[in-house]
Amino acid sequence: MKYIILLLTMISGQASLAHDFTPTYPKLETTHQSGVLKASMKLFNKRDDIRFYRVGVFDNEWNKIPFIVSGGKTINVEYLDTKRFDVYIQESRRRDVAYICTKSLTLQDGSTKSILNSRICSKVK
Amino acid sequence: MFNKTLISCALLLTFSNTVLAEEIPISGSVESKCIVTQDTAGVYGNASPETLSTATADGGVHPVVRFDVIQADYYMARITHPTSFTESPALNDTVTWTGATSVDQVSDSGMSAYDSNKVEYDNVTEVDLSIAGSTWFQVESEADYGYGKAFPGGQYQAVVTAECIAI
Repeated sequence: MKYIILLLTMISGQASLAHDFTPTYPKLETTHQSGVLKASMKLFNKRDDIRFYRVGVFDNEWNKIPFIVSGGKTINVEYLDTKRFDVYIQESRRRDVAYICTKSLTLQDGSTKSILNSRICSKVK
Repeated sequence: MFNKTLISCALLLTFSNTVLAEEIPISGSVESKCIVTQDTAGVYGNASPETLSTATADGGVHPVVRFDVIQADYYMARITHPTSFTESPALNDTVTWTGATSVDQVSDSGMSAYDSNKVEYDNVTEVDLSIAGSTWFQVESEADYGYGKAFPGGQYQAVVTAECIAI
């Protein structure tokens, strides 16, 4: 049985390509800087083909909203690593902010396989 | 005298370690979340010169993506099949793209309704993940070159986008 499971895992070879982004409903909290709010997010990279994720902040119509991320908008997360980061937004845009998203960034590697870009968006309520 | 003290200290340390290593707690929490997993990487088959297709009949492999949701009605899946190559040789004629997304496997029988309830527009398919558990979506993609023209030799790559959006 063990060998069958091992064989299936080896054949599939893709069983652990997951992207996990929480919390589902982040809250915007005040910071020590007046006029600036932040949301604390957590990204877990279980995709061994991905090392970088891009953060995005959008309104309800998917228009981009200016923001700053601790450590930069492109986040390097190694395989099976968890990264916690804060997204900073102007307090004046509080009502506009609807989604905070992370999107996988893929490299062109010359293979003929199609690539999966994964994006997970949390909703600010 | 020194030896006795040393031995006593060693015994005490050993004993105290044994007593302290009784219980190791493991804690965890379950929170609402969505996990997007690439289950199967797609492959374009080239059974006829003018077509690249993920269909098995054409020698391809349909990409499969899995969405896991912990709680029902918290997320929507949005899957976009390709309408352009991200990598290809120089193409001097038009490429016609077709594609579709359908439910492949489910962890709950109620999820089979996702196929009838899905919303499709352009190259996008949206599904409300109204049941907690895992759903596998299969993406079909086909590219036809010119009017019966052969695709030039080289590497071809296209992107499927799988999004999980909190609602």
